Amino acid sequence: MRLKTSLLKEPKHRELVSCVGWTSADELYSCSDDHQILKWNLLSNDTSVVVKLQDEIYPIDLHWFPKTVSGKKQAVAEIFALTSSDGKLHLVSKSGRIEKSVEAHRGAVLAGRWNYDGTALITAGEDGQLKIWSKSGMLRSTLAQQGTPVYSVAWAPDSGRVLYTSGRQLVVKPLQPNSKVLQWKAHDGVILKVDWSAVNDLILSGGEDCKYKVWDSYGRLLFSSAPHDYPITSVAWAPDGELFAMGSFHTLRLCDKTGWSYSLEKPSTGSLLSLCWSADGTQLAGACGNGHVLFAHIVEQRWEWKNFEITLTKRRTMQVRNVLNDAVDVLEFRDRVIKASLAHGHLVVTTSLQCYVYSAKNWNTPLIFDLKEGTVSLIVQAERHFLLVDGAEVYVYSYEGRLISSPKSPGMRMDILNSQSISLSNDTIAIRDTTDERVVFLFEAQTGKAIGDGKPLIHKIEVVLIALDQCGSSNDRRIALIDKNRDLYLTSVRKLGRAHSIYKIGSMVDTMAWNDSANILCGIQDNRFTVWYYPSVVFVDKDLLPKTIFTKDSSEFSRPPQMVSYVGSQVTVRRVDGSLVCTAVSPYPTLLHEYTSSARWEDALRICRFAKDQTLWSCLAGLAVANRELSTAEVAYAAIGEIDKVQYINFIKDLPSKDSCLAHILLFSGHVQEAEATLLQANLIYHAIQIHINLYSWDRALELAVKYKTHVDTVLAHRHKFLQDFGKQETNKRFLQYSEGVEVDWEKIQAKIEMEFAKERERAANSSVRSSVSVRR
Amino acid sequence: MAKDPLAEAGLHFDELNKLRVLEPDVSQKTTELKEECEEFVDKIGQFQKIVGGLIELVDELAKEAETEKMKAIGARNLLKSVEKQREAQHQQLQALIAEKKMQLERYRIEYEALQKVEAEQSEFIDQFILQK
Repeated sequence: MRLKTSLLKEPKHRELVSCVGWTSADELYSCSDDHQILKWNLLSNDTSVVVKLQDEIYPIDLHWFPKTVSGKKQAVAEIFALTSSDGKLHLVSKSGRIEKSVEAHRGAVLAGRWNYDGTALITAGEDGQLKIWSKSGMLRSTLAQQGTPVYSVAWAPDSGRVLYTSGRQLVVKPLQPNSKVLQWKAHDGVILKVDWSAVNDLILSGGEDCKYKVWDSYGRLLFSSAPHDYPITSVAWAPDGELFAMGSFHTLRLCDKTGWSYSLEKPSTGSLLSLCWSADGTQLAGACGNGHVLFAHIVEQRWEWKNFEITLTKRRTMQVRNVLNDAVDVLEFRDRVIKASLAHGHLVVTTSLQCYVYSAKNWNTPLIFDLKEGTVSLIVQAERHFLLVDGAEVYVYSYEGRLISSPKSPGMRMDILNSQSISLSNDTIAIRDTTDERVVFLFEAQTGKAIGDGKPLIHKIEVVLIALDQCGSSNDRRIALIDKNRDLYLTSVRKLGRAHSIYKIGSMVDTMAWNDSANILCGIQDNRFTVWYYPSVVFVDKDLLPKTIFTKDSSEFSRPPQMVSYVGSQVTVRRVDGSLVCTAVSPYPTLLHEYTSSARWEDALRICRFAKDQTLWSCLAGLAVANRELSTAEVAYAAIGEIDKVQYINFIKDLPSKDSCLAHILLFSGHVQEAEATLLQANLIYHAIQIHINLYSWDRALELAVKYKTHVDTVLAHRHKFLQDFGKQETNKRFLQYSEGVEVDWEKIQAKIEMEFAKERERAANSSVRSSVSVRR
Repeated sequence: MAKDPLAEAGLHFDELNKLRVLEPDVSQKTTELKEECEEFVDKIGQFQKIVGGLIELVDELAKEAETEKMKAIGARNLLKSVEKQREAQHQQLQALIAEKKMQLERYRIEYEALQKVEAEQSEFIDQFILQK
């Protein structure tokens, strides 16, 4: 990926250009020290003078009023804020008329920024003050005051905090008074420019020490560049938060959000005083110190999937190469390509007006449909459909181009979703809330409605990354999430009446990804490459989890890597320095998942015997129990030496009725409550009581016995025996109360128990023969 | 000879017998003086012209020398700046080379990883074939 730059032969401005700003994807305004504001139309290649300012106005910073204001979208921006060296703040209309001028600071006003919803404007001055203004240019408050000039300022994604420079330090100050101010030394020279991405919440800074740095919003350093030859004069995040651009003297760099650089250009521009991305993220403009205005767009972006390699060769042209036979197809588009995604055998490309869907089988005839807004910021694909984040809404389309659903949630800012905060599977959409990061909303993909009772999943602490598994039935849909403590959790999406049980399956997990063809999870855990061959095993047999994990050393990935894809048996990881590293995962687990999902248990056993791998056997054991396939489970447990479990499975197999069988399988997986409910539903009350006696949960056993008025004496007898064995006195008040009226007679109790079993056997015999056979098969 | 009464009256006759107020000698001398004066003025004029031309010439020369001097200084500066330019270009190219080197390193790592995967896979295939 690189930037293709273009410069006119002769500069249009006579003096240095100080600031630029896009109105639409093809129209740019630029201000210069020659007091002129120029309008650049990229479609017609026209440049016209909008207005000639008064001679005492030397513009310094320009910022257009944001287009999206509280969900409503304006087609074009109408007004911009212009700050000048005489200490004034001007609000200028699109036609160049100065609507309002206010005396803002003593000395020059060095920066002026609107917040994301357009309700406030902040200005930073040479006098070291930060002032907040209303939309109409009325002074609201002075946020901060310091002894050194504030060179640059940026709003937080939630518009509730402000980042500004203070000499060599960066300061994050909340708007609310008396809240904690975050301040840290960021550079060895004066910091000249900062930017804060709304999408990924990362901070970018560049200064006179000739370095640029990437920080998270807590002020932790994520990346620091090597020193350049000249001070960094401008930095700018791309709107989708995946890339940023950095400008210096005769230097323009395109970097990944993790800091490493995609490409370096050396245009003769003088210092790049300001950089600005167009709203769709395809164009970049730079204000040059020698009077030029620099335009750049991204080319040679690449997408890979299985044997296809796609390159964006020009703005409107893509080249598809099939690596297997070197066949090359060229795809032409009517407009500029804004976003593209290649996965699950489909290529989805969006331009400013349309969406093209290609199938990997046929590159000639795309399916084309019109977009609603045309500012797609994210494409997420699943096997059956894909999702577009278009402006302030999320749309799910089928690969046939049919709009399936559009999930909505009040108060959510869909336009700042990124690939880490949204996940799509064939039946479910998971979206992390943008305001409260602990909350994950779950939607049905087919209808766009919230799943179940509509309550979102609420985690203990902030969630960093969410991912839905891609295969299997919708009832078994699981969501994996990494929280701020870097712990990996797994929970099921549809709870089906059960309580939301969430299991921690890993800690110190940097990144993770689900496989596209089987429910296998891979990640980097504590510097080791880890594959959870069957993560859902925590729902059936928690003890098996460590045995179903495959790990290997991941020093080749360096820290902290990013998972790019996990397709088939190949994992692609991007290292911190930007290089892609592939690694292969054993194909057996995928095969095993395939066999078990189609109930080919014999084949599953055969593959385990062939591979002779304990992890694989553990996997099979879990899969078999989950599918209530007891004989396979028995073999698998025997293979991994879990004799106690084999015994229990044998015991379950011998149980006379289907219901108690089911209950004991649930009990095997540790779901006591569900097991009890199953038994009570089947009217096997004694069995339910027995479960609790065996688990020493005496209170519940007695409660049940009293409630159903049966076997109270049995419970008391067992309790008595238990106390005797341990030489203890009865202290439980309820037991004392009931033991008074009941006489314990072991013979009678034994007889009663015998009777219960006989009754159960009888009932099982009466029920259809077929069903009992299916249970025991 | 007796005194000419006319001469006493201050009147004289010249050779052409025209009545004159001035003595013929004086008159002649006056004329001579006049002529000489004219001659002198002429000569002075000529001299001035010549000197003027000379000054012009010298001035021109001076100008030319000046421009040549400026040219020389300019050339010298240009030489210096070319050196600087070359340095800058060198710097730029170095930066570009460093960038390409980084890219190369990335590709090398990717290639190595892929080679490893290939080796693993062929090993797997061999194992698979042997066991069957």
